[in-house]
Amino acid sequence: MDLIFFGVSLALYLVAAGGFLSHLLVGREAPRRVALGALWVAFGMETVGLAVRVLTLGNAMLNSFHDQLSLLAWLIVGVYLGVQTRYHLAVLGALVSPLAFLLTLSSYLVFSGAQTLPDELQTAWLPAHVAPAFLGYAIFALASCVSAVYLLQEHQLKAKRRGLFRRLPSLETLDDLNYRCVAWGFALFTVGIVTGSLLAKAMWGTFWSWEPVQVLSVLAWLLYAVLLQTRSVGWRGRRAATLTIVGFALLVVSFLSLNLGLPHGRSFG
Amino acid sequence: MQHEVLIVGLSHHTASVGVREAVAFADEQIDDVNRRLCGLEGVDEAAVVCTCNRVEVVGCTRASVGVSERIAEFLRGAQGGAAHDLVPHLYRYWGRDAVRHLFRVASSLDSMVVGEPQILGQLKQFYARAASVGATGAVLHRWFHKAFSVAKRVRTETGIAGRAVSVSSAAVELASTIFDRLEDKTAMLIGAGKMGELAARHLLGNGVGRMMVTNRTFDRAVELAREFHATPVPFEHFGKYLPMADIVIGSAAATSYVLTEPMIHDTLRERKGRPMFCIDLSVPRTFDPRINAIDNVYLYDIDDLGTVAEENRGERGREADKAEHIVAEEVESFWRWLGHLEAVPTIVALRDKMEAIRRGELQKTLNALKDLGPREREALESMTEAIVNKILHTPITRLKQQDKRTEAFYIDAARRLFDIEDADES
Repeated sequence: MDLIFFGVSLALYLVAAGGFLSHLLVGREAPRRVALGALWVAFGMETVGLAVRVLTLGNAMLNSFHDQLSLLAWLIVGVYLGVQTRYHLAVLGALVSPLAFLLTLSSYLVFSGAQTLPDELQTAWLPAHVAPAFLGYAIFALASCVSAVYLLQEHQLKAKRRGLFRRLPSLETLDDLNYRCVAWGFALFTVGIVTGSLLAKAMWGTFWSWEPVQVLSVLAWLLYAVLLQTRSVGWRGRRAATLTIVGFALLVVSFLSLNLGLPHGRSFG
Repeated sequence: MQHEVLIVGLSHHTASVGVREAVAFADEQIDDVNRRLCGLEGVDEAAVVCTCNRVEVVGCTRASVGVSERIAEFLRGAQGGAAHDLVPHLYRYWGRDAVRHLFRVASSLDSMVVGEPQILGQLKQFYARAASVGATGAVLHRWFHKAFSVAKRVRTETGIAGRAVSVSSAAVELASTIFDRLEDKTAMLIGAGKMGELAARHLLGNGVGRMMVTNRTFDRAVELAREFHATPVPFEHFGKYLPMADIVIGSAAATSYVLTEPMIHDTLRERKGRPMFCIDLSVPRTFDPRINAIDNVYLYDIDDLGTVAEENRGERGREADKAEHIVAEEVESFWRWLGHLEAVPTIVALRDKMEAIRRGELQKTLNALKDLGPREREALESMTEAIVNKILHTPITRLKQQDKRTEAFYIDAARRLFDIEDADES
């Protein structure tokens, strides 16, 4: 039943992606409005779908790859919808919608029905870890999209060639938004790391065990910390954008290492 | 009698500024002009439009003979005969051509700078002025409002208004792709060349908050600074002030580079990497081209800006074609509406519609009451006929009774109320 909601939002993400892209290329208002509307409805659908899963599975849903992926899609879209009320950035929508589409599609593909939660994960630390960590992921994902747009716009300006994408936001706007995203993402991710190690402690009695997810997360965390610190000495713009994307790539690998059978000792972090 | 629309006037296409000045009306004259235009024989509705690029009378008549001559005569005489020889400058558009002309003016396709946004607002003002003294009726009301919506369509569906076509405006456009807002930005003008001055003026006009001016001859810097409300900076140590500048415009004559790589490196360090937009408008160039390779520095020379402007000009041409298509489409739609704005066809159409409804409903009833005899059927027939006639009697009489000013309103209303085809396109 919940799959229906995900299916509908899957289709709507595609509509939104098309709408945002055609707005970018042609500059008309109507496709952007349609896209935004589609995104809101898709978000609503995915909310209902997730709510159904939470009600039927409880915390166990947090242990399924399927639900994690749709949770991520839902959070990324939610964060974008929040951001776009202040920054009207259709170009971000053009990146976020396909991303949400891919995540939801993958979640479809790995769907495995009901999940059970191992006993050692029956702890309040699980949601306390997943909530901030995933919200952090979502914000970093958005920051990476912002950075990608920055790099494109920067390249166009430097090369003095303005290609297809003439309606991109200003570099200053993008850089500023990137900084804000990284700062918020960092704060949440910090909480996620702390609660994550408490979760690890609750499960195996040790905070740190050289799991790939732990190592990569801490690396990404350090990188973002450096990024935030060096802004005041002039690491902004292109360099900051590149680092944001690198940091996010680390997080993607760390997330996949949990779910796609990289050697690790536990089923969830 | 068929309504005819017309426009008589002159614009920057046909008359020099001297002629336009002589004909132009002062703001306080407009109401009086509108009233007097309406008083001219044969003129049913009129609105004068008077901007620095055009003086036009938009009108509607049902007496085609001599109306445009009377309006032309009026324009000639209105300013005390100062503009005695207007004939070669005046154009007269009738019918579709007139409709198209107003739509093109509203969409800024007829403007000196195609795509400039002011004209629509001006047109709205002048229409409101004419309406406020009762010089307009249903035709002008519809015509102008259609023109406003055409302009809006052109604005949203084509890129005609969005592109900078001069070197200076290309600089402004680029500045706003780098910076979010220009109000809190500072520009520095190096040198006193004409191009630099123009670019600086454009940037200030587009909101750049502060300006510094430097020049080898300090007096000239002071002079320019006064003109721009800027701060003059001595040329010998303009480098000290450079970190404050978000935008640097070079417009000096020099044999060596004024802005060099090490200078920009130092400046950027002090600016903590905040981006800089360097515009080199001098020939030969005075900014080292290599500074474009430095992170967060964007260097454009005059050729780069020219390319941007050129691309935009090309694009604007294509967009103008698109806009002309929109205009042509809308002209037809308005033309159909105007063509139907006559009493007799409207009355015929109204009767036909009612008759069709009567027949349809009667047939349904007769089908249901199969056992009725011929007498009862006839009675029903004449009863329904009587109902339709009685209902239509007053509206039709009213439609026939209207005078020239109110007729169009009633016809239009009748067509809309009874949904008679082609009554409305918008």
